[in-house]
Amino acid sequence: MTTLEARAERPEARVMTTGMSTVRAGRRWIAADLRARKGQAVLTVLLVAGIVAALIAAVTLLEDGTNPWRSLFAQTNGAHVWLYTKDRPPDEIGAIDGVTSVAGPYRSAPVTVALGGKKEPAGLRALPSQAPQVARPVVTEGKWLDASQLDGVVVERSFATALRLRTGSSFTVIALSGERHTLYVRGIADSADQGFYPEWTPGLAWVLPSMLDRIEPMLGRSEWVTGLRLSDPEAAQIVSQRVVVTLEDQLQRVYTWREVRAAMELDNRLLGTLLALFGVVGMVAAALALANAAGGRVLGQLRDLATLKSMGFTGGQVTLLLLAEHGALALLGIALGAVAGWAGTVAVLGTTSVAPIPVLAIVGGTALVVLAAVGLPAWRGGRTPPIPDVPAAPPRGHLSRLARLALLVRLPPALVLGTRDAFTRRLPAFLTAFGLAVPMMMITIGLGVWSTLDNFLSHPEQVGQHASLYVRPGKLESSQAARIASRDPGVRAVYPGTDVNALAPGEARSVRVRALGSTIAPYPFPVVEGRMFARPGEALAGQGLLDLLGVRIGDRVRLTVGGSPLIVRIVGRAVEPDLDGEVLSVGLDSLADKDAVPPEYYALALRPGADPAEVRTRLLAASGESLEVQRVVNPADRLSVIRVVIVALIVVLALIGLANLLTASALGLRDHAFDLAVLKAMGLTPRQVMATLVTGTGLLVVVGVAVGAAAGVSMVAGLIDLQGHTSGVGAGIGRTPSALTMTLTVLVAVGASLAVALIPARRAARAQVPVTSR
Amino acid sequence: MSAVLKAVNLVRIYSGGALPVPAVRGVDLEVEEGEFVAIMGPSGSGKSTLVHMLGGLDTRTSGEIWLDGKRVDTLSESAWAMLRREKVGFVFQFFNLVANMTVADNVELPALLAGISPKEARERRESLLAALNLADRADAAPAQLSGGEQQRVALARALANKPSVLLADEPTGNLDSRNTRDVLRLLGEVHKQGQTIVMVTHDARVASLADRLVSLFDGQIVDDGRIARRRTGTAGEVIDLR
Repeated sequence: MTTLEARAERPEARVMTTGMSTVRAGRRWIAADLRARKGQAVLTVLLVAGIVAALIAAVTLLEDGTNPWRSLFAQTNGAHVWLYTKDRPPDEIGAIDGVTSVAGPYRSAPVTVALGGKKEPAGLRALPSQAPQVARPVVTEGKWLDASQLDGVVVERSFATALRLRTGSSFTVIALSGERHTLYVRGIADSADQGFYPEWTPGLAWVLPSMLDRIEPMLGRSEWVTGLRLSDPEAAQIVSQRVVVTLEDQLQRVYTWREVRAAMELDNRLLGTLLALFGVVGMVAAALALANAAGGRVLGQLRDLATLKSMGFTGGQVTLLLLAEHGALALLGIALGAVAGWAGTVAVLGTTSVAPIPVLAIVGGTALVVLAAVGLPAWRGGRTPPIPDVPAAPPRGHLSRLARLALLVRLPPALVLGTRDAFTRRLPAFLTAFGLAVPMMMITIGLGVWSTLDNFLSHPEQVGQHASLYVRPGKLESSQAARIASRDPGVRAVYPGTDVNALAPGEARSVRVRALGSTIAPYPFPVVEGRMFARPGEALAGQGLLDLLGVRIGDRVRLTVGGSPLIVRIVGRAVEPDLDGEVLSVGLDSLADKDAVPPEYYALALRPGADPAEVRTRLLAASGESLEVQRVVNPADRLSVIRVVIVALIVVLALIGLANLLTASALGLRDHAFDLAVLKAMGLTPRQVMATLVTGTGLLVVVGVAVGAAAGVSMVAGLIDLQGHTSGVGAGIGRTPSALTMTLTVLVAVGASLAVALIPARRAARAQVPVTSR
Repeated sequence: MSAVLKAVNLVRIYSGGALPVPAVRGVDLEVEEGEFVAIMGPSGSGKSTLVHMLGGLDTRTSGEIWLDGKRVDTLSESAWAMLRREKVGFVFQFFNLVANMTVADNVELPALLAGISPKEARERRESLLAALNLADRADAAPAQLSGGEQQRVALARALANKPSVLLADEPTGNLDSRNTRDVLRLLGEVHKQGQTIVMVTHDARVASLADRLVSLFDGQIVDDGRIARRRTGTAGEVIDLR
């Protein structure tokens, strides 16, 4: 015992602050705890990382879908300012402050592309066989221009898609002189030089300079295109002004990257709101996963925590300890997920295409949410009483009503016991059911978004797209155009229409007034509130317009159209997917004649089964290519990437639900260890023990899944409508998943959950449970 | 001799259920420095509650507790925790080693908490484990140890900071006779070095090791007396008769 004595005599060396000492001791405990549950910790990290990576990938993909300019610009090392001049511009424009490099000048000639009876305007641009460094077209298919093939052409992708051109196909270009040349498509390339065809015309194609000289020998019929890359994109406006001053009347036109980006952007805030919905789903999922993992862990080690407290950790310190441990795992997961998501999207979409703000929002938001989620179990852990030997409160022994019912209908004993188990322990029962209900609810919401998209596609008239073709008279008389359109067998109805801009009182900007149909033969706007307009002077408004002007249905608004007043009473609200819902729809007879006659365009509603593309071709043929016929783009067509995201989210949510279930049943088993021994002692076979356990879990699974599905169904339409409201589209687009889908989903969820519950139950039923003290 | 630990009219009433349950009903107790007090009594007599209150693990309903001349019953839970780091060592019936930590970490943890440098904490742990014959099990997990070994580690942990008082709640309650003997021998040795010990037990043979025997019944002290070394058996029989 000499060592003990020696220690006793040694002077105490307490030099450190208590804070420091707690940190040391706490670190020791965290390290030990993490070592003891490496697998679980890794799983937690991976789960959080997976969710964050999926979110970042989804957001970036969606962002890329709505705003393709960013990645195209980065990939092509694009120019910020483009200028068109009559003659070759002087070199001094490259010396303007802020210009780092210059693309071109390239000679460009206007031509008409004739292909399969169609004629499309195009700009042929002369680029060398060595693709330039700045504003470099990125070949996605085929090859770049080469001197060995003089009649080769590389076509900008959206233009190639519109013309249905593939590598190797050929087309004819008609120069201004009328001379025809055949060009062969060598490659298809992405470019951020201009917007997409046909929103931005003319289309863009590149040929070698010598070929351009052959097609258009007259320098006077061509122009010069120069791109300027700037050190600061924000300086584009100033630089373009300098260009205007420097070149004066040599300059034909100039535009900046902002115009290109705006042309490429989807005019649809619906996407943004759907994106926000996914963000919320993902964060709740991450929070749930962590709360469950941390909560299960904390409940499992309450005894150790009590011991720590008996040794001198305060409650606050225990809470901090748990928060640090689980929070660190979560933050590590977030960091890994952010890196993985970033790397993944960079690999798919190219460098620097990741939008920084949404990614930062995801990382920051997830961090806050998971820390909050970990906070609750940590706080619970800190409140553990410091007496480690207090036995857990015995479960209530009475039979639940359900169990009594089970006895009444003479169910097998295992089922009765399982039924009793399910509800006697209230907290674990709640955790199990809740842990399943939340992912189930989210999955239902995801399915609701899916069916809303389906509804967009199958019933475009419900989102204001009753007409699927818009015809502009082009070179024809307006009445001629109407006659041609109404004669087509595929066309059911022709609505004359005109879009005018109107100034709203007190608003600096104008709003769109869409005059379509008349009050006698009105265009079937999807009215979701109020009623259809019935006489001149009545109007329908989109949600965005109501919000913008601060008016309600029944109010009168006074607008100014081209100097003359337009006073209308808003009698209803229509679902309005265009222009953030800031649209006023009236009958053509509500407008003054000077604005309404002749109609600017005709909206064509087709007969069921008629193919818009065929009708378009027929109309073009009937009019001798004089009409402009435009197809309506369904928002759902452009939102198809959301479906991928929904599937990914459902997978993640399902995994989270199952992980929650595993945690809950593992915890349940720990509490059950004694009962199992007793059950076996009473003479239940392992199979019956297993049935008992699975019944206990299964009932909770059914409750959780049913509650989650019901909550999801009741929420989804409202939630989408709420988002529609904020995006200006207006409520009335949300759809709940079909009954069949829901039934299948619920069955699959319950089945998978039972299969998962079976694993620990099997193990527990086989295990030798010692009947000793815990 | 001054009193290291003093309880004045200590009362604990559990009022969680339908009826308030008095567990400790007015206990006056003074423990002198270096004393070895055994608290005995049948199940439910309030002995564990008493010792938990003395260490601040449970709160008193009324009464006073004095430790090292300072009144401590008014302390908050956190203040109690800080106090325990240096002044109170606990040994429990079920050892309560932190399951995830090695034996070495378990013993070093209180020293680290008390602000000892890691180097010195390691030295202390080495000397303590060596003294308790556990030097070769330093890196083992608690679950790999026998009950007796675990309780010896728990004892080392409780003694790591040389506490003013060692509170032991049924330290041998879960041990076989050989391990009980080992642990008791260790307690005796620690006591001989001047350690103040308050031990709860229901085993008369274990209690006979103490200098002084306090008998609790229904939350009140019914007997408090010094034990003559030779009269071990008799004392046990007296208690057994109750």
